Amino acid sequence: MNTDLLIVGGGPAGLNAAYKAASNGLKTTVIDRWFTLGGQLNQQTQFYNNLPQHFENQRGYQLANYLIDRLRKLDVKILENHKMIGAYNNGSIGVTDGKSTFQVQAANVIMTTGAMEEPDIFPGWTLPGVMTAGAAQILINRERVLPGKRALILGSNNFALEVARQLNDCGVAVKGIVESRNELLSQNDELLCEVDIPVLLDSAIERAIGKGEVEKVYVNTDGIESVYDVDLICIAKGMTPIFEPFEIMSCDLTYQEKLGGWLPKYDSRFETTSPSVYIAGNAAGITNIGGILLTGEIAAASILEKSNAANSLKIEEEKKYLWGELYRIESAENPSALDARLDVIRNFHHETGIQLPVYLDSVFGGLTNG
Amino acid sequence: MHLTNHPVLGKDDRKTIQFYFNNKLLNAKEGQTIAAAIMANGIKKMGVSRKLQQSRGLFCGVGRCYSCFVTVDGLEHVLSCSTLVEEGMEVYSNLSDPDVRRGENEY
Amino acid sequence: MDKSTIVCRCEEINIDEIESAINLGARTFNDIKRLTRCGMGPCQAKCCMNLVRQIISDKTGQPLHEIRPPRMRVPLGVTRMGALAGSQASSVTSVFGESTEEGETVHEEKL
Repeated sequence: MNTDLLIVGGGPAGLNAAYKAASNGLKTTVIDRWFTLGGQLNQQTQFYNNLPQHFENQRGYQLANYLIDRLRKLDVKILENHKMIGAYNNGSIGVTDGKSTFQVQAANVIMTTGAMEEPDIFPGWTLPGVMTAGAAQILINRERVLPGKRALILGSNNFALEVARQLNDCGVAVKGIVESRNELLSQNDELLCEVDIPVLLDSAIERAIGKGEVEKVYVNTDGIESVYDVDLICIAKGMTPIFEPFEIMSCDLTYQEKLGGWLPKYDSRFETTSPSVYIAGNAAGITNIGGILLTGEIAAASILEKSNAANSLKIEEEKKYLWGELYRIESAENPSALDARLDVIRNFHHETGIQLPVYLDSVFGGLTNG
Repeated sequence: MHLTNHPVLGKDDRKTIQFYFNNKLLNAKEGQTIAAAIMANGIKKMGVSRKLQQSRGLFCGVGRCYSCFVTVDGLEHVLSCSTLVEEGMEVYSNLSDPDVRRGENEY
Repeated sequence: MDKSTIVCRCEEINIDEIESAINLGARTFNDIKRLTRCGMGPCQAKCCMNLVRQIISDKTGQPLHEIRPPRMRVPLGVTRMGALAGSQASSVTSVFGESTEEGETVHEEKL
């Protein structure tokens, strides 16, 4: 199979990139290993009030539906239940639908592989009833299933608090948010207003026990042990970019703690060290929904620019706007991740000796010259 | 337990279908994954681990941890978190490695 | 923490086994894989990747940015042999059999 642009991953980054590319005339193919498009956005019920200006603020699942519907109106090949399983020496990508495997030869690839939740371990963490916060969120918001009756949340980042609140609102008794530090990681603690969710600081789960599933959890708070009769533990330790498809595509990796760990190197066009292989979304560093959408769009715009598929002055103006939005949203919501992202890009340009585009001076500031 | 009335999404009006888990007839909603359908019936354990035979269930929910393997209509090691439940489906716990010497044309 | 706590969910390798491998000289995740099978089950180290890196760092003092993840290999994700080999002989391209240059005999997956 041949295509101008192959997008691996039909989450928000991939969908937005596909729309940008296809609406400017690129023959675009989207593959997703899941049975629906939308990725992890499908079960986000929270309201996003800081989306890029060209989007209307809305809830996550509504945004997923919007991105999917908008794309389906275009002439785009969409292959759900198709997963990338490898690469060939000729640069094409091996895709399987579970029954057979075929090659996709694409002039350009944007890989929006997303992120994975990090586990945190304690004796008994492999028991049924212990799951990632994301899995619990999928159960309540997508599957409409209560994962348990009484829960503990391990971790206190934004996502931990969001899921704690959502579980509470669905009728799960959240018995505590267990955090090893002496303060919550999230500044968004208004999520815990008006609900009875205890915060257990300086605390760790010592062990979880139960016959075939979690029944009892021992929590140590500053040396004092308490027992919780819970049947659900949600682990929310943070996320890390999914990079293995990039490794298969021979992309060089770099390490940035603030972006979630190891991730592919990329330049200001979101092109990796493998020519014509682009990256966007959480795979390019853990960010917020605005960053996910915008990086996808910048990657697609960069391919359009290269392919001469659109007026180059217009594309440059658009990229300037997109970068401005990326800077605005990430500097407001996650400035340390933005700094790390700019570092990744700056290092890439430094290593290759290619100048950063002049129109990005305002984003990269005086630092680009320093 | 099925969440029939979601605080944001409202009522669940999906069709109810039936499937078997370890020979027991259970209800599910059309469009649910096998893992969710099993858990909606109050069951968390999907199988056991290979070496220590410890209980395993849904962990990551997104098809990456492979803790939720089940056997579906005779096909072993199916990811229950990423496979949709179907009417009349026969699902069994994952209790051992596949028998590789079984007839190759069985499926 | 209790050293018998599982780190690798698939192969059921605990903290003690990983630390023992480090005591035997393992310094990278790949070393630990070879000595213990940690990260070699169906999930292919997706879950234990950073847990093991942290244990190596704690035990050896190497900073996390110097400890690389294990080598990722094709096929990405559990894939049935039939899907790779091609059960429908006419329409299927195998990842192992295609794109080999003329005269080349090695299989061409990129490792």
